[in-house]
Amino acid sequence: MAASATNLNQKDLNQHIGLEGYTSNALKLFMKHLDQQPQSRLLDVGPVCQENIRFFAGRVWKHYVCDMFIRLDRYIRKNEPAYQIWKELDYHHESFDGILVWELADRLDEQDVNRLVTLCHSMLKPGGMAVVMVMGDQVASSETRSFVMGQNYRIYLRPQPHLDLPLRGRQNRDVLSMMSPFIPAKSFICRPGFMEFLFQRE
Amino acid sequence: MLKKSRKANAEPNVSTSPVTMVDRTIIGDQIYIEGTIRGEEDLLIEGSVKGSIEMKAHHLTVGSKGQVEAEVRAANVTISGKLEGNINATGRVEITKAADFNGEIKAKSISVEDGAYLKAVIEMEREPTQKAVPLGKPDAKASAESTKEPFVIAGKDSKGS
Repeated sequence: MAASATNLNQKDLNQHIGLEGYTSNALKLFMKHLDQQPQSRLLDVGPVCQENIRFFAGRVWKHYVCDMFIRLDRYIRKNEPAYQIWKELDYHHESFDGILVWELADRLDEQDVNRLVTLCHSMLKPGGMAVVMVMGDQVASSETRSFVMGQNYRIYLRPQPHLDLPLRGRQNRDVLSMMSPFIPAKSFICRPGFMEFLFQRE
Repeated sequence: MLKKSRKANAEPNVSTSPVTMVDRTIIGDQIYIEGTIRGEEDLLIEGSVKGSIEMKAHHLTVGSKGQVEAEVRAANVTISGKLEGNINATGRVEITKAADFNGEIKAKSISVEDGAYLKAVIEMEREPTQKAVPLGKPDAKASAESTKEPFVIAGKDSKGS
C-alpha cells in the first residue's frame, strides 16, 4: 500500500516539474567507496525517506539516520536559535565512512554552515566521503524536497510539505568554499541543474 | 486500564498495518508501567512503559499517545507515538509520520513515512548475495543520459573513489 502511494506521488511530482529524475553519478561513486569499507557506517542527515533507508541500510553495515531538516524546522517554528540543532549530531569523532548531507547547507546561514562542515569533518573517518547537493537555478524553490533514491541511482524529488525552511541559493563556488576543509573529489551538474559534490576527508 | 480488543480498527489513531491483529491487549493512556512485559499476544501501548518488552511472536504497537522507553523484542513493531530504545524485530518495523523514535533498529524490513521524527541506527537483515551485487547498471535511457548530461565541473579524478 505504502509503496503504491509513494510511486503515485513521485509520478505526480515528475509530471508537475517535468522531470523523470536523473542519474546520480556522485552517489554511484559514494556507494563504490562505501562498498570497499569493511563494516561501513553511513550517516544520513536528510529528510526521513523510506526508499533511501531501504537502499542504504541494505548496502552498509550500519545506517545512521538523523533528520536535521525536521529538527531545523521545529526550532525555526518555535523561534528558537537554529544552532541548537547541532547538539543532535553528538556522534563520536571519526565515526563514519560516509555522510549524506544532501542540500542541508542550502537551508542554513553562514554560521550554521560552518558548524555543519566542522562537525562533518570531525565525524568522518580519514578518507571518508560526504555528498552535498544544491538546487540549480532552474529548480530552486523554497519548497523543501527530499532526494529519493530510485532504481539504478536515479534520483527523484519528493515535496516535504511538513518542512518550511529558507533556501539560501548557494552556487558552485560557495559550496567549494564552505567545504574547504575537505578535498573536492568530484562534482557534477545534472539536468535540470542539480549540482552534486563529493568531498573527501584527508 | 488494560483492555482486550479483538478489532484491528478499534483505535483510530493507529495506522493501518498489513499485519492482522486478531487479539491484543491495550495499555491505556492513564497507565504507567515500569519493568518487563512479556506476552503471547499483540500489544497496543497508549500509556507509558519503561523497561523491556518481549513478545517475540507478536506485534507491538506504540499508539499516538504512547510513550515508551524500553528494549523491544517483537515480531513486528508499529510506532505512532514516542519510543526511545532499541528494537529487535524478526519481521517488519513500521514508523509512521506521527512517530518520535530514538534508538537502534534491527529488522527484516522497515517502512518509514515522510515526516517521522527519527534518530536511529538501522541494521537490516540482508540477503547473503546483496553485498556482492555490483552497482546497478542503468537502463539504456539512463545510461545515455549519464554519459551526456552529468559532467565534471571541478575535482581531482584520482581522489573520487
